[in-house]
Formats: sequence, C-alpha cells, structure tokens
Amino acid sequence: MEEKVITVTSGKGGVGKTTTTANIGAALALLGKKVVVLDGDIGLRNLDIVMGLENRIVYDVVDYVEGRCRLRQALIRDKRAPELYLLPTAQTRDKTAINPEQMVQVCDELRKEFDYIIIDSPAGIEQGFQNALAPADRVLVVTNPEVSSVRDADRVIGLVESHEKGPVQLIINRLIPARVKKQEMLSTQDIMDVLSTEIIGIVPEDEAILSSSNRGTPVVFNGKSPAAIAYRDIARRLIGENVPLTQPQTTSWWQRLLGKTE
Amino acid sequence: MIAIKGYRQGLLIVFSGPPDEPWLTRLRELEAKLNANPGFFKGGSVAFDVRAMSLSEDDLRRSIALLEAHEVMLWAVLSQDEATRARVRLLGLADRLAPTEPAIATPASRSRANNTARDTPPTVEAAARTAPAEEHHADGTDGLLVRRRVRSGQVLRHPGHIVVIGDVNPGAQLIAGGDIIVWGKLQGTAHAGALGDDHAVVCALDMSPAFIRIADATYTPRPGERRSRNRAGSAEMARIEDQQITFTAWDKEARAFE
Repeated sequence: MEEKVITVTSGKGGVGKTTTTANIGAALALLGKKVVVLDGDIGLRNLDIVMGLENRIVYDVVDYVEGRCRLRQALIRDKRAPELYLLPTAQTRDKTAINPEQMVQVCDELRKEFDYIIIDSPAGIEQGFQNALAPADRVLVVTNPEVSSVRDADRVIGLVESHEKGPVQLIINRLIPARVKKQEMLSTQDIMDVLSTEIIGIVPEDEAILSSSNRGTPVVFNGKSPAAIAYRDIARRLIGENVPLTQPQTTSWWQRLLGKTE
Repeated sequence: MIAIKGYRQGLLIVFSGPPDEPWLTRLRELEAKLNANPGFFKGGSVAFDVRAMSLSEDDLRRSIALLEAHEVMLWAVLSQDEATRARVRLLGLADRLAPTEPAIATPASRSRANNTARDTPPTVEAAARTAPAEEHHADGTDGLLVRRRVRSGQVLRHPGHIVVIGDVNPGAQLIAGGDIIVWGKLQGTAHAGALGDDHAVVCALDMSPAFIRIADATYTPRPGERRSRNRAGSAEMARIEDQQITFTAWDKEARAFE
C-alpha cells in the first residue's frame, strides 16, 4: 500500500509536533503534492493558528463526522501552495467526539483525493493519540534532545510497534550543536542508543520558528533558515528522494578554516 | 491445585483438581499465592483456566474482586463449560486467549476495560506479542525468550526465566519467577525470583539498572552512582549474598559460581 497517511506524534507535549506537521505538509505541497494537514487535537486545536488559517474555519472534522457538512466544506485551501489544505478540528469538544474507526473512515475519504494526509497527533497516549494512530501508514515521532522527551518517544514507539503500525521514523527537533558539544544536550548518538529508530531528519533550534508560528507562516514558505532547510529535506525524503542526513554543525566554514571552535 | 503459567499475553492461572471442589476453597488457595508473592502479581493481568469447572456469576465476581484487591486484573476465563463461558462474556471478560485486536496500555484503557468488553489483556505484557515467532516455551514451562528491545512502559512478566536478546530501556520492567538474563544493556528495572527464589540471578552484558530486586532484596543505585559501561571490562551478574544484592564481573572468579 502507498504510504499516504503520515501521523506526527511524540508522547510528550511541546516538542514541536504542530510546527513539524505544518512545515512538512507545506513542504510536500511546494514539491507539487496534493496535501491535507489534519488537526488531531480536538478541543485544543493549534494547527490552524500555526498555518495562519484560523479565521477561515467554518466547519470542522467533527461537523463532518456528525453529518453537519460535506468533507469538502470543512477543507480550507491554503493559497500559498498549489494544493495545500487544512482539515481543522473542533475547539469546543473533547477527544471522545471522534473514535478511531471514524478517523480511519475520514482518512479513507481523503485518500481518494490527496497524495498525503498529515495528522497532527495530540500529546499523550490516550484516545486522541489512538485516533491519530489508527489510520496511519507511517509514523513520525518527534523528540527533543533531552531525557524526558526521549523517554516518552520510547514509550510511544513501543505502543506503535504493539499496534503493528509503522514504519516509525524519528525527527530530532530543536537540536543546538554547541550545547551538544558541551554535553549539556543529548547527542544524536545518545538518542539512538535508546531509541534505535531510523532518523528521517534533524531540525536545529531556529529563532525563525517562533516568529513564523506567531505570524501563521510556516518557515518553509519563505526561508533559507536552518529549520526551513531541514523540513524541506524531510519532505524530500518522504517522497523517496535520497537526501543524505547531515548533522548540524557547530562551526561555520570560515571558523573551521581559521581553526577556531566555539 | 493451582499452577501459574506464562503466556504470550501475560499470566495464565490453571485450576486443576476435582471439579466438585468448592470455588471458594480454590480462591483461598489463590489468595495465599497472591499474598506470598505480591511483587510478582501487582499491576499485572491474568487469565483463569478453570478446566471443566462450572462457575456461577457470583464466583466470577468474587474472583474479580479478590484480584482487584491485589491490584491484578482478570481479563479472561477459559472453561470447558458453555454456561460458564456465557456468564464470563456477560461480565465483559474474554472466554479465550486469542486477542481480536492489539491491546494498548494506558491508564484510560485500563479503567475503561472495567465496564466494556475485555477481549485483550489491557497491559503492555501484550507487547511481547509483537514478535510471537521469537518466543519459545509459550506454554509457560521454562521461560520467555524475547529477541527485541524492551521499551519504556513495557512489562515482561513470566513465572519462569526471562531472557532478552536486546537492550532493556529505562522505564521498562522485567519480572521473573526465575532468573533474568539480558544480552544487552539493562537500564530498566529487573525483579528476579519474584515468586520467592532467593537463589535467582540477574545477568546483563551492560549492567546499568534503575532498580534490581531479587526475591525480597533490593538494589537502587545511589544518586550520582553510574554503573558505567564495562566498568569491570565484562558482563556482570547480580545475586544475593548475605541478604544483599552484590555484583560480580563475569570473569574467571565468577565462573566458579557454576
């Protein structure tokens, strides 16, 4: 089966799932794919804000599941890319408003129209997570280079495996090479020692993310910033291009030329 | 007669003996086992095999209550008696071991399972299921062999020995009636001799546990203590000596243990 439904999850909150979903979705759309990003966090929706599409929500996925609208009416087109859509969720309901079977059914509808369906999972391992996992063909686990985030990622990978979902791939988010060097932050190797899961991308800490999230413009739309480059690389790996994985460097080329380190 | 067996999905408690023996007598026997080995059962889920016995609804409810008092969940009851199986299903328990869908272990699903059908054991013991071909002696006579990484939140529980070929991550738990052998790095917690055997041992190629317990003796690393990789240049074995857990590097000296 073609891997169309990609679920972005992490266990722990605040590691960058929503930012990752928005940027990977946008980057895939910029590569010419027809993409929908789906907010899985019923009751605590954020994906619309990060995408800057908050004001355009009329119907949401819960309205569709409960028969108040057609799927097409709930989809919001993002005009910054040729074929990018947001399927928002309800802000006034909770996780029990949709069950895993309904989520599979929604995604089966979307599969007919779209090349990729990217689901932003809520934090935790309860029903919202199970909803997001149920239709997944591929699971991206986002972790930060710190112990508690890696521990939760390990738990989530175990659950994904026991559901026989996957493949699971890892995104290491917010890495600061200088702090890894000072051993204040886990290195890629430290993380791999525990998780031993294929890495699909390493996204460096990037000031551009904060302002872009607040403005509602994913960094991949206008950026040469380090995170934008990392997200575009992840999108290219997802469509099967062979993009070598590069470790973010602590020093620039001229510093190395002069033999200086930070 | 009560026998505790390891099963792919957790523990199976087999009640054998004369079918006309009152159920309460058997429950008392089970209670004695639960009281004698709380560390082994606590937090687990079990299935009953009552053979040809017929159990009333009251019998079943009493069984659930007894186990709940010991923080153990009853998720299935196997019986050759069709009327008993019907009562089992009516209480929302499974009447067979084969799961219809993978279980997920969350506190939520645990509590939900109390009032909806339990077709699967609601703990991660089931996680061992992901690689059924790699587990031998699934009938529970000798031990459990798991050839994969055991991840945070996963629990392997077996009345015999547990052998893991792979790392045991921080937050993972192994509970064995017999010995525990980790062909890899042990960073989680290990409880060997959990049915009272104080001769049980815990072996690991890289011994960095968060906690070890053998029978009733415990070991917790002191704050800041780091049992670093290959501290002694070899694998290590933990066992009880003078009521204390001691570690021995697997060198010539240790081989005298044989």
